[in-house]
Amino acid sequence: MSLKLSKNNPHNKAILTTGNYACAEGAIAAGCLLFAGYPITPSSEIAAYMSRRLPEINGTFIQMEDELASIACCIGASYAGKKAMTATSGPGLSLMAENIGLGVMLEAPLVIVTIMRGGPSTGQPTNASQSDVYQVRYASHGDYQIIVLAPSTVQEMYDLTIRAFNLAEKYRTPVIVASDGFLGQMMEPVYYHSNFEKVERKKPQVPPEKYKPFEVFDDDLVPGMAVAGTDYHFYVTGLTHDIEGTPEMTPEGGETLIKRLCDKITRARPDINDWEEKYIDDSDTVVLAYGINARGVPEAIEQARQQGHKMGYVRLKSLWPFPDELMEKLGRQGISKLIVSEMNYGMLIRETQRFQHLFEVSGITIPTTIPFSPKFIYKKMMEEI
Amino acid sequence: MSEDAKAALPNEKPEHPYLEYSVIGSLINNFSTRFCAGCGYGIIANIFNRFFQDEKLNPQQYPLVIGVGCYTQIQVIIHKDVQKIWVLHGRAAAVATGMKMANPKLKPIIFSGDGDCLGIGGNHFIHACRRNIDCIIFIFNNSVYAMTGGQAAPTTLYGAKSSTTPYKMIENRSDGVKLALAAGASYVARTTVAHPRTLMKYFKKALNHKGCSVIEIVTPCVTYFGRKNLDSLGREIGGEKGDKMDSGGKMIDWIKKVTVRRNQAKFMSEEELFNKYVIGEFRYDPDKPEYSEEYEKIQQIAMEEK
Repeated sequence: MSLKLSKNNPHNKAILTTGNYACAEGAIAAGCLLFAGYPITPSSEIAAYMSRRLPEINGTFIQMEDELASIACCIGASYAGKKAMTATSGPGLSLMAENIGLGVMLEAPLVIVTIMRGGPSTGQPTNASQSDVYQVRYASHGDYQIIVLAPSTVQEMYDLTIRAFNLAEKYRTPVIVASDGFLGQMMEPVYYHSNFEKVERKKPQVPPEKYKPFEVFDDDLVPGMAVAGTDYHFYVTGLTHDIEGTPEMTPEGGETLIKRLCDKITRARPDINDWEEKYIDDSDTVVLAYGINARGVPEAIEQARQQGHKMGYVRLKSLWPFPDELMEKLGRQGISKLIVSEMNYGMLIRETQRFQHLFEVSGITIPTTIPFSPKFIYKKMMEEI
Repeated sequence: MSEDAKAALPNEKPEHPYLEYSVIGSLINNFSTRFCAGCGYGIIANIFNRFFQDEKLNPQQYPLVIGVGCYTQIQVIIHKDVQKIWVLHGRAAAVATGMKMANPKLKPIIFSGDGDCLGIGGNHFIHACRRNIDCIIFIFNNSVYAMTGGQAAPTTLYGAKSSTTPYKMIENRSDGVKLALAAGASYVARTTVAHPRTLMKYFKKALNHKGCSVIEIVTPCVTYFGRKNLDSLGREIGGEKGDKMDSGGKMIDWIKKVTVRRNQAKFMSEEELFNKYVIGEFRYDPDKPEYSEEYEKIQQIAMEEK
């Protein structure tokens, strides 16, 4: 249905579409010109939509032989100067793990959409879940930082996919959009607006003869990126390397590189981290939720406030790097309790437990595949306070 | 030779004509590699440099996608202007596919080994051949996983000893050429480092070919294959156990001994071809549709229908 609608895209009108289609349309709006994917429920619609839409705008869709190849293809495209994306679900992301590490090491901008489903292993392919919160953060081996965004409406599938491309280009890093099976499949009205800034990657800042692939000139620690087919010579490797890209096996060399790769993300936390908050100023208890599971929280909070409870909520739009500054802010506001609500057996709650010196932490953490209803959240909240 | 005759000879070493085009040569004016004595990768790198320089190829057009193996160290002596991207073990063909599709003007050259291409990256190799994507896949076949210490590879010959087959190899070997032919690559050839002229000829043909070119190069590994095996690979012929292969020269001789030209192989039985390398060109099909060109047609159809 939305396939036809998208052909004469009414930017000023809302259209009814699914989260997966909105995600694909967001990628195209952000300038994505290559999609490489492998079919997997519940993300396959993104690939199907891209296979039709990308050739229309002179882009490339390619169905690869597996997820390993899909993300490798995106890394190749990224180094040939195109914005690239792949989409998958938990089992596919497991296969992509090694190339996520390569993407981080080569500083290749690319976007990975993961439509979370129940796990482990084959799990529940047609259901939603939030059990991959650690997978998206720690998929690859080694010491690295990664940016993960978490949409909770179909509109945000569009908006945050655009944001993911912008962050990937700005910080030269893979960015993951962690959605879930329900959000991917369900329909909601979406505005396909063009009211956003399109970020392009940093170009080499010196003439070709002086160019070194990983030489940093700015405070943001992001080097200018040369791509294949230009006059800029580069040699890049997944080994720890120096600014020229040559393998560097000394302890100091590894330390310098890993510190820079991590610091460029953690330093940018104020720019990356994004959340929605309500009633924080006068609350004793705050509910923290994200993704599809956050949708029931506002109603439960309103109900609680009507009953005279001083409660507020925070909805994270970005999961990683974890918003420490938000926790510190909540501490400063003097809240006494934080309730973390998530559809897993307790993942993000562990991050908030680092701040138990500021407030008490408890959780509604159930490894279910159905998002919590407002009624359920209200009941659980009342048990907690 | 008398002292007078020696003095009459030029005392400086002859300049290597391609030294300045290699990465290390341009930096320190000398060749210095990490390869073991007797390794064939120096020959390959030299041929690559020589070819790039003689043919005046535009280095920006041929990004080098390198897998993981000993041959990754070729980048030290390879042509200095070629853009090099060193990727994960086995994934080079997939990365090259992405580069080619993102910018069809490029023609990626893939360096991969027998373990890299036929072992861990077998699937990517098959599908790159199947799509007939315009690239050149070099398979450097030294018959072992040399960088990790000489373990048995999918291409290890029957009866050979290696770190992980201390008694003898009992698995059937994987044949990169047959696999490429079955998968649908449009130019398939095999040669050895003992036949550098043929290698140059095939390389030239692959560069001018629009489609997936697979060139397998049989190359010696003295350290992990030659030192552990006799040239008979455990087959006693008439009570003879075979000769040692513990130097580069002996291994080159062995390679020459176990290679059979394709024309000769036609008249040989399966048994005679056992543990032999058949060299030559196996397929040259310039008319086979190439993936990125076919995709451009799809783009045109899509834009017209829009």
